[in-house]
Amino acid sequence: MTREEFCIEMDEILGLPAGTIRGDEKLEDLENWDSTALVSFLVLAESNGGRSVSLADVASCFTVADLLRLGQVEEPISS
Amino acid sequence: MVSTVNRPSPLSAALQFPIEPTEVLRKRRPLRRLLLEQSNLVPTRIAILGGSTTSELRDMLELFLLAQGIGPAFYESGYNGYAEEVLFQNAGLWNFKPDIVFFHTTWRNVSQFPDLLESDSDVERRVHTECARFESLWEKVHADLGALVIQNNFDLPGVRSLGNLEASASYSRSSFLMRLNAAFARYARTHSRFLVSDILHLSAQVGLGVWYSASYWYRFHMAVSPVATVALAQNVAAIVRSAYGKSKKCLVLDLDNTLWGGVIGDDGVQNLVLGRDHPVGEAYGDFQRYVKDLKRRGIILAVCSKNDSEIAKQGFDHPDCILKLEDFSAFRANWNPKPENIRAIAAQLNIGLDSMVLVDDNPAERALVAQELPEVAVPDVGSDVSRFAEIIEHERFFEADKLVQDDLSRSAYYSVNAQRSASENAFSDYGEFLDSLAMRAEIGPFVPVYQERITQLINKTNQFNLTTRRYTSAEVEEISQDPGCVTLYGRLADRFGDNGLVSVMIGRVSGATVELELWVMSCRVLKREMELAMFDALVEECQARAIRNIVGVYIPSSKNGLVAGLYADLGFGHVAGIAGERETWLLDLPQAYTARSRHICRGTAAVEAPATA
Repeated sequence: MTREEFCIEMDEILGLPAGTIRGDEKLEDLENWDSTALVSFLVLAESNGGRSVSLADVASCFTVADLLRLGQVEEPISS
Repeated sequence: MVSTVNRPSPLSAALQFPIEPTEVLRKRRPLRRLLLEQSNLVPTRIAILGGSTTSELRDMLELFLLAQGIGPAFYESGYNGYAEEVLFQNAGLWNFKPDIVFFHTTWRNVSQFPDLLESDSDVERRVHTECARFESLWEKVHADLGALVIQNNFDLPGVRSLGNLEASASYSRSSFLMRLNAAFARYARTHSRFLVSDILHLSAQVGLGVWYSASYWYRFHMAVSPVATVALAQNVAAIVRSAYGKSKKCLVLDLDNTLWGGVIGDDGVQNLVLGRDHPVGEAYGDFQRYVKDLKRRGIILAVCSKNDSEIAKQGFDHPDCILKLEDFSAFRANWNPKPENIRAIAAQLNIGLDSMVLVDDNPAERALVAQELPEVAVPDVGSDVSRFAEIIEHERFFEADKLVQDDLSRSAYYSVNAQRSASENAFSDYGEFLDSLAMRAEIGPFVPVYQERITQLINKTNQFNLTTRRYTSAEVEEISQDPGCVTLYGRLADRFGDNGLVSVMIGRVSGATVELELWVMSCRVLKREMELAMFDALVEECQARAIRNIVGVYIPSSKNGLVAGLYADLGFGHVAGIAGERETWLLDLPQAYTARSRHICRGTAAVEAPATA
């Protein structure tokens, strides 16, 4: 899954218009970042990464970028 | 299943087969927003009492119910509070007044398991004790709340400490859970307001490795994984849909490469692929057996095929054809567009398009019908006949909460009705035709033996339905015992056969007035003047109770325009409300009342031998 694709998925999980999440937001600033969104993110991350994500892992995330790394999302190669 | 009120959008297609659970979980918020835009949702109040975390289940259940045109309000118990909230009459739950109480428990909520090598009789005592614990909850819900109870049976643990011995040892956890499931099933067979959610089967279907996730159990105390929760929600939603009479009634089938392999017009009946001599032929035979089973339990079958009609019928002469022509209540084989034929079938059978399911191997035909008739369910069955039944079952189109005798005779009714319609052509005067039917009506106050059918008719009738009020079985039972209510059921038979119980009235008495809060009649008996016979019986009951005024209420819906003028036709005066909104009508009963019904005899609707002429 690419970064763009992940951000679009996060838009849907959070119930936001497509293109809202850019990847650098703080989780505490996201209105719908709640237990429901957390479970949906875990399902997304685990189906993408093929491994279980622990609560401790998620607890150490403070930004969407942290979630991207946890979800093993491909980052574009910088030239 | 997406509600047929609006055309399915790409987003709402996420709730149609094949469902990708992770997609539904991710898209729950935009899906919910979209589905809440619908109008005419049937409201219902559902209490989810959990033995584990229930929030995911609530979210998913709401989506599937909304997609079926049902608008739920939820109450959730505290974590693992399924027992104490009932036993201690939690004020929040009691004040919520649920229509439905769903006990979301799993094997983890069993309070005791047998000891190793415990005797069979001791195990049986434990079964009895554990079952009694649950029964006390159900009975309290029934007695105090009057709600329908939906109870999960028990799934099996993913880990078997006894290995394969679990299957045979009477003291094993697996054996104990299976005995509890049998006890729950016995309870369901003897109690009308209790339905089992079969998670034993569901967990096997999704696989125990998917059903249970240790990760989600220890992190969130979810007894069912998020992915499996989607399947569970769809399952429970199907049960609720059935309880509200919104299950589908009619299966419309293509013929070539759907009921048999090959094209009969090109290949001829002798070359059809059908029967056990060929693997694909065997699959077609099994699909026909599945369809026949549906017909046996009351699902109406119809054919809609692009074929010459007489050639198409020859296919049923194939020696391995399980289905016969007489299994079908409607048969349309011609070269007209299928949407046109399906509309004609609906009109012939007097059913709504939203009660029909089309199974057709041709994706172009499926797409055309889905486009032209969004109310018709058109599952993407693909072209592999070995999967047709599985896909139909997956969508739970024909979920049944109960089977009553009327269901088993439904197909026969439509066949007999074709004979009635044919005999009508012999008369130029419609009144003479009605007299020729020798109709007999049995009309009386509600009796327990008909309670199931009365409840079914109330919740499944849409066209001849003056107020579209729905009642649970518990409410029907309560009303039948309430001296402040007037209740009437009506059965109708004629020389062709028995139409069964076809009409229901409920009125509330206040002084010298009765207000009709419910009047329904099956479309089977439209234009037979059965409504006049029912009204005559109502007047007799009013006269016996010194009731002098009848108030009729008409609440228009999208489907009951048929009865908009009924009270005017019966001589009521309009007293309140405007067309298109709730209307109130009043009839002052005259001292001398002349019966309106002229072609129906009242008595018992005993079935006589069918006419041979």
